[in-house]
Formats: sequence, C-alpha cells, structure tokens
Amino acid sequence: MAKVTFIEHDGLQQVVDIPAGWTLMQGAVQHGVAGIEGECGGSCACATCHCYVDEAHIDALPPPSETEEQMLDCTASERRGNSRLSCQIRMSDALDGIVVRLPEAQS
Amino acid sequence: MFRFDPYSPAVDADPFPFYKTLRDEYPCFWSEEANMWVLSRYDDIVAALNDWETYSSAKGNLMDEMPNRAGNTLGTTDPPRHDRLRNIVQFAFTKKAVEGLVDPVRASAKRALDAVRGEKTFDFVADFSSKVTVDVLFGLFNLPRENERMVRDKAVLMVQSDPRTRQKGPEHIAAFQWMGEYARELVELRKREPGDDLITALIQAEVAGEKLADREVQMTITTLIMAGIESLSGFLTMLALNLADHADARRRLAANPVLIPEAIEESLRYNTSAQRFRRCLQKDVDLHGQTMRAGDFVCLAYGSGNRDERRFPAAHLYDIDRKPKGHLGFGGGVHACLGTAFARLASRVAFEEFLKQVPEFVRVQDQLPWMPSTTFRSPTRLELAVA
Repeated sequence: MAKVTFIEHDGLQQVVDIPAGWTLMQGAVQHGVAGIEGECGGSCACATCHCYVDEAHIDALPPPSETEEQMLDCTASERRGNSRLSCQIRMSDALDGIVVRLPEAQS
Repeated sequence: MFRFDPYSPAVDADPFPFYKTLRDEYPCFWSEEANMWVLSRYDDIVAALNDWETYSSAKGNLMDEMPNRAGNTLGTTDPPRHDRLRNIVQFAFTKKAVEGLVDPVRASAKRALDAVRGEKTFDFVADFSSKVTVDVLFGLFNLPRENERMVRDKAVLMVQSDPRTRQKGPEHIAAFQWMGEYARELVELRKREPGDDLITALIQAEVAGEKLADREVQMTITTLIMAGIESLSGFLTMLALNLADHADARRRLAANPVLIPEAIEESLRYNTSAQRFRRCLQKDVDLHGQTMRAGDFVCLAYGSGNRDERRFPAAHLYDIDRKPKGHLGFGGGVHACLGTAFARLASRVAFEEFLKQVPEFVRVQDQLPWMPSTTFRSPTRLELAVA
C-alpha cells in the first residue's frame, strides 16, 4: 500500500491508499477521484488520466515511454514538465506519500 | 459440488448467478471443464491485468484460442514488443482519429432504419446491429465492398465454441481460416496498391527496425475485423436488450439523448459482450488459499468483476446514473481494448438515430438464443416489437 494525495483543480484534497501493483489511475478511479477519467482503461491511448506529479516524487518514476510521450502531447489541459499519465504509473512502496495535482480538464 | 463450465448453454444464457457463487465462495476456482483457474472478483482481475509479467498473454487471450494466432496479434503479445506494435496501430483509433466516423455511422444507421420503417417487429441483430457494424468497419478499413455478408457470418462463427466437445468445432476453425485467408488477400491487395489506410500502415510499419511478419499483419487484421464486427454488434445488441428491459431508462434517453453515453457505460459494466478472457501464469501465485502453478491458464471474468458488489454497490441493478468509472467492459491494463473510442462513438451515434426513429419498443422473445461462446456473450437474434 502507498498513500497518495490527490488535489483536484479546485483544491479539494483526497488521501487514499493504493495497493502496490495497481496503477495510480486505477486507484483514483476506485476511490472516486473526480478529476481522473481513464477512458481507455489504462492502455495509454486517451490522455484522460493526465496528472501533475509533485517535485519530490517525479524523479522516482521511470521516464515516460515513447507512447506516453506522444499521448502527453494530446492532453486537454496544459502539459507541464511534471505531466504524466496516471495509468502509466505503477504503485510501489517507493511512491508512498506521492502528491498528485489534477488538471482543470481531461477531455 | 459447485461447477463452472463456460461451455455450458446455461452459462451462455445467464452467467451471473455462477459469477456470484464464484466471487463469494470460490474467488480462486479451478474449472475442470475449462481446464483453467477462474478469477471473478474485481480487485483480483485488476491486479492480474496490471501484472502482465505474471499473467502473460503470449499463449493467447481468447478462452478458446485459434490455431497459430497467439503471438501474432496485439492481444497475444507481451510488452515490450506489444507496446511497439500497439504504438503503430493505436493512432488510427484515438478519439480524434475516429471523429470522422460520426457521419458514416449516422448514415449507415439511417439506411438500416429506413429498411424496417413501418414494420411492426424486426430483428435488431440482422436488421440493425450487423448491418451498421459491417458497413462502418468496411468504411474504416476501406475494404472492397464485396463479401460483406460472408465476412460478418465468419466473424460471428469464429468466436464460437462447441458446447458438446468443449472446443472449437470444424466450422469455427474453418471460419477463422476463411478470415485469415481474406486478410491475406487484403494484404496482397494493399501491397500492390498502397493506400492511406491502416492495413497499408501495418504493412509498412517497422518495430525495432524490423517489418512486421506477414502472419502478424494478417492476424492483426483478422482480430480487428472480429472485434469491429462481432464484438461491436454484440455490444449494440446488449444495449438494445437493456433498453428493451428497462423502459424507464429508455424513455429518459429518447427524451434526452445526451444521456446515451451514460447508458453505454452502464451497459459496458452491466452485461458487456466481452465476458471472459484468459492469461497464462509465468510463475506460481498464491491467492485465496490456492496455489496456481506456472504454466496454468487463468480466466479473467470481466463480466463478474463488473458485478462485484465489493466495487459497485447494488451491482445487479441497471442504473444509468451510476457513472461506473473503472468498469472492465473493455478489459484493462496494457491490453485494454484498442477500439474504445471507436466503440463509444459508434454506439452513441447508432443509438441517437435508433431512438429517434424507434423510441418505444419491447422484446418479443421470452427466451433468447445465446451465441455459444466461452469468451463473448450476446443473443444471435433479438426480436423487437415497435410500440
């Protein structure tokens, strides 16, 4: 289990536990986090699980794959240096305490 | 002694009571008839979908795999090769790429509806869902407009299994081989006359500096035709069935078509046509007091995960206000359905037109004829009476 803080665009915070092995997107969807859609089911094909990862954890993540890079260019809200697709972030103990901010729009 | 036989006509007709027993009493169940484990709880299925290193697709993903298919399609390849292959195909199926299909789907739906105008009863499968999906898929791949009926019949037959012998029968294998041959001819055609289409893109694509093998192109096309025709028409039929059985929901949609996407998502959860897929274990896994061994096959029962009360409260109820995010109607993880955006768009547009012309309908048959399939579930006929 890793503790994750989701911060919606309007500032609403939600802290949830996500099991190791699940993706950040699935954990968000499971707990009803409104700002994550995940339309494609986690196959990196829709860019509706876009999120901004806090500076303290961004370097702990493996870099985005070529596909994720391309999909990150298709996000509805602005792409920033810490933009990632949450379906490509697989949870582990190393990510305990991660803080994830959500964009204004996903689609 | 509880048994779960995915070949049984009883499971084709109504798998949900079996699923409930599986989830509540045997969450990690060995099915002798299927010769594989069955995972039925939402959390277990999601965990398996995320762990492709353990739950491999390389030995096939259909409950009954077809000869010489595994390893040659997206759904039967593991990363990293899968990811590179998918990268090539995916861009033809993004939301943006499929937007251009709105008008062709609408036109096709209107044509099908015109043909039954004035009829008191009609078969939703033959008269609507088959026609529209074949039409749109032929347009999407720019296929030569011949053999349309044959392609549809073979696509439907190739996903079936024989309930008596508990394997694919000669007619199912023959249908698959017919489709493979059809795809091979398409590849030859596009090699001679390249176009601005997905088949040409697949032929010309390189993965890690290598062209795809002919068999890979051929089997990928075969699978896309199967999914685009059989799975999509199966889903449309299930959606029509749900709207026939839930008149309140249907009336709300007819009065307010912006709700159609909500009904699509709930139908994907409630009783989607893609019920069960399989994986092969790469190492021993202990789960719910059982030990599954490396080399064993595991069925991921999406249709059961979607009814898991642990994840979806009152899961047995069809509720278009549910917003069932995270449902398994398209599977999940790296192998989640490629055609999600296409399927959602085609379903929405087809039902906008359908409900405009046929807002009131009831189902005629009490008992439906269910397709004999271990992977997919939909009726082969759905007679509707126009009220």
